[in-house]
Amino acid sequence: MAVSTRRLQKELTDIKRDGTPVGIELLSADDFATWYLSVEVLGNTVYEGEKFALKFRFDSQYPISAPAVQFVVDGQYQAPIHPHVYSNGHICASILSTEWSPVLSVVSVCVTIQSMLASCKKKERPPDNDRYVSRAPENPKKTQWDFHDDDV
Amino acid sequence: MTDPQWVPTVQDLRVKLCYICREEERYDSASEYLILPPSLPGLTLPSRTEPLAISLDIPSARLPNPTSHLAQDPEDPPRAWTHPCSCTLVAHESCLLEWIKSAQQDSSRAGNALKCPQCGATYELESDNPRILRLLNAVNAGLSAAGKAATVVGFVGLTATFGFTLYVVSTSYGAFAVKEFLGEEMYNVLLTDDPSVWPWHAFIHLPIIPFSLILSRTRLFDTFPIVPLFLTWSSSPPARATSPSSSLWTFNRTGAPYAPPPLSWPPTPIMGMILFPFVRITYRRFFNKLTRFVMGTHADAASRDGGPIRRVIWALNENGPAPLRVRIGANIQPVAGQAVPRAGGAGAQDGQGEPAVPPEGEGNNNLPDDPAAVAERTLHVTTSSLGRFVGGALLVPTISNRMGKLLYHLSQYLPWLRAFLAIRDRPANVPAQVGLFGAPVGNSHSPLRQIGAHLATGINIMFGGTPTWNAQDPVWWRNTVGLGLFVFAKDCVRLLHLYLTKRELESRKVKNRSFAGVDIRELDLINPPPESNASSTTEPQPAPAPDVTA
Repeated sequence: MAVSTRRLQKELTDIKRDGTPVGIELLSADDFATWYLSVEVLGNTVYEGEKFALKFRFDSQYPISAPAVQFVVDGQYQAPIHPHVYSNGHICASILSTEWSPVLSVVSVCVTIQSMLASCKKKERPPDNDRYVSRAPENPKKTQWDFHDDDV
Repeated sequence: MTDPQWVPTVQDLRVKLCYICREEERYDSASEYLILPPSLPGLTLPSRTEPLAISLDIPSARLPNPTSHLAQDPEDPPRAWTHPCSCTLVAHESCLLEWIKSAQQDSSRAGNALKCPQCGATYELESDNPRILRLLNAVNAGLSAAGKAATVVGFVGLTATFGFTLYVVSTSYGAFAVKEFLGEEMYNVLLTDDPSVWPWHAFIHLPIIPFSLILSRTRLFDTFPIVPLFLTWSSSPPARATSPSSSLWTFNRTGAPYAPPPLSWPPTPIMGMILFPFVRITYRRFFNKLTRFVMGTHADAASRDGGPIRRVIWALNENGPAPLRVRIGANIQPVAGQAVPRAGGAGAQDGQGEPAVPPEGEGNNNLPDDPAAVAERTLHVTTSSLGRFVGGALLVPTISNRMGKLLYHLSQYLPWLRAFLAIRDRPANVPAQVGLFGAPVGNSHSPLRQIGAHLATGINIMFGGTPTWNAQDPVWWRNTVGLGLFVFAKDCVRLLHLYLTKRELESRKVKNRSFAGVDIRELDLINPPPESNASSTTEPQPAPAPDVTA
């Protein structure tokens, strides 16, 4: 069995046994390749009342290689308007590329993104949104991110 | 154990949970069910044995065990554990090495490769890293830097010289290459510095030379001849007429075809051209065998020798935006895909307790685990600069020239080498001339005999060479031999580098540390020291199981 499958199995068991942190729900985990989780930012924030969905894609090298994480953009869900979130759902967050570590997990990524949203004061798209979205690869892991902000 | 100064190590943990794969290992799989969960302190012996009995005949994964998510079968063979930092994270050594290896291959992540994600402590690696490997790595890094500079210069140069200028530049480079490769003397006879006397084919041949040199380094054009391209000049007539008489390419003696000595040394350029592919293939085979022997690996890694570059994405600027990246080699994906199952098999065979990567899934991340392959990958990622690649290709004529000169100097002291290289200090006085085409061979002969004579001349030229060539010091021959020696030496250095890198990867160990500085009460120990026993009334710690200490 692939290492990624065993590890994801454990994460799934953990989620099913201990539940997920407040505001985070497992939407679907039908296989060990793609999972969907929903994220809500609780409390008094600019995203009050909004619900977002995160799509996780894993390759067989997970957790050595980072999962591909993006916001779902479809009829039901939209990407949050945030300086580090592009309108196609791609997220500019260092923990998803260079700062990824196997100590992180699906839930901890969700929590990080939740707190990234919670700390946002002003809803706005990244300045290069249109340029990026027009030529972005389908998989956000294929993007070379340039992290200009340390407070992500 | 009761020593108050006692510092536990990873071996003293009752439950070890690898922070990478999340597999856990318990001190004793049987004790797992004997140790009572703290919430059930009053359980009596009969009910204790009950779950134990169950655990013997049903799969352990289905046991209702409150502390483990998926109870583990004891691993076979057990994997080594390590505690590499100053916090409570522990991991399988193999998992950690895998993570370090993969992180180090990516320059943007390399900084985090040896850092604990939780406490930030730096992992200490111990490995067999001899000075020569460090030197080779430094040279490699230096060449990569030079390659990067060459890329920038080359890119600017290419853009600036596009179109006609490109033609002129590549033609002059071709002429330069011919001069370097064939030697100045031969160059002055065959080509000269004056383009007005060049034969017409020079204007096709010369500009092709730089491109074919570059292409010949890619596996795609593996059979593309480098040396033969120079040797096509062998059948070319001299560019500069020495006698103003009729056609230089004719000779008006009798009808006898030109007959050089039957077995001339060095081999004629045309023979060289014919033999070149065979020599090349034989050498490749030989070197692949050597590589396999040295690396103790499968043929696959070795067969990529010489052509690894096509699998690599060249980054013109490693941290640059995506459009600046050049991807060369159409067969990147199939090759990677093929490599995976085979290498996976090899990984399983060498039985180091490392899980072989299953041949499922796709993507570039799914690469073999085999140390030899990893060693190769580690090198190739750093050698992937376009400039280094192209620059290396264009240096070939100069390298052969220098190597030829070196051989020439050596031959001053070694008569046998001099004989082998057939060094001639000055050209023969009067170069004989060959009537290859349309020469009036004599009126007395029938057309059939004329054809026969021409055929004989052709065959003679093939085996004996043209007089122009025979008359000159065969610089091309010692340059070819020199280039061969250089390629061999380069391959050997590369193999040594690969071998040392592989040995370094294989011998890696993460330095294990004790839990010094960590609050012992945070740890779930097999044999907690007495003071933590006292605190176990307040902390939800499982009581030590007295019956399992033996």
